[in-house]
Amino acid sequence: MRSITGRDTDPSAEPEQQLSAGESLALIERQQEEAQRGLGLNPALIYALWGAAYLLGFGAIFLTYPTAGAIRLPGVVAGVIIGVLFAAATVTSIVMGVRSGRGLRGPSRAAGAMYGWSWTLGFCTLAAVNMGVTRLGLPEDAVTLLWSGSSLLLVGVLYLAAGALFQDRFQYGLGVWMLVSSAGSVFAGVPGNFAIVSLAGGGGLLLAAGYFALHYPRLRAAA
Amino acid sequence: MSAIGSTPELLPERSHDLLPDLDPVIHAQARLRVTVALAALADGDQITFPRLQQLLEMSAGNLSTHLRKLEDAGYVQLTKTYQRRTPVTYVSLTRTGRRALEDYTAALRLVLTPPAEQPGG
Repeated sequence: MRSITGRDTDPSAEPEQQLSAGESLALIERQQEEAQRGLGLNPALIYALWGAAYLLGFGAIFLTYPTAGAIRLPGVVAGVIIGVLFAAATVTSIVMGVRSGRGLRGPSRAAGAMYGWSWTLGFCTLAAVNMGVTRLGLPEDAVTLLWSGSSLLLVGVLYLAAGALFQDRFQYGLGVWMLVSSAGSVFAGVPGNFAIVSLAGGGGLLLAAGYFALHYPRLRAAA
Repeated sequence: MSAIGSTPELLPERSHDLLPDLDPVIHAQARLRVTVALAALADGDQITFPRLQQLLEMSAGNLSTHLRKLEDAGYVQLTKTYQRRTPVTYVSLTRTGRRALEDYTAALRLVLTPPAEQPGG
């Protein structure tokens, strides 16, 4: 069967109904939202997952210390909570990142992929450096503070990079907040550092989730 | 301080029924949707045919017919390539296509703006 649609067909003779100007504008807006939702990541969901992982995971570790308060969690329970939450957030972020990039290529895809790999490369290197330093023999509290301080520092710098790359002042501001939390966590000492990572770090990420949910109302429909 | 010319350029006569100066290539529901979806990609980015089809929820035949018309107008570029021996078609909006959509949107806004609110009016 051959298509009888000729190339030189007068467009006005097409069976498709013509839209009025108002209908056309409405269609453009609707289609723009649909395309952005279908092509982009949902930042609100990713921030919410990581915010919950920080708040509950590091909150659980804080509660394993006797000085923390009334409730005291066994170390194993806290370890399982933080492990599960971080694994879930990591897998979800990677799956969403890969899915949103499927079937696309070009400069912005390359930039996005390089940014995604920055997290993996950064945290692998951070683990190697911290373990290498720890091997020389450090007091237990110093090891704890080294990890919480350096992790938040790296997170902060990567949000600064995201702010610069995607021209997003909000993410840049979040990066600054994470840097302040990083330094604060080290000076708070153990176990106060876990409270700072949990409340300031996790809280900041949850605020970001709320911001993106409000700022991009179209994403709420997708969630 | 800029002095605005005392005689603003005369606007074309507007008719809400005929929409005289609208680009006929884009002023059709399906092709308008295709163009807007492609314009959502960043400059220089390309999308595969199946992903575009999924995004627009159009049949493959319908989409390729409209893409051919957009390509004939110079609004869309189709790049055929191979990935692991499977043929893949990448679609992107050309600079002409992006400008055509901008002009079309501006024309719609002009048609819909009451005369009192028009610039210089």
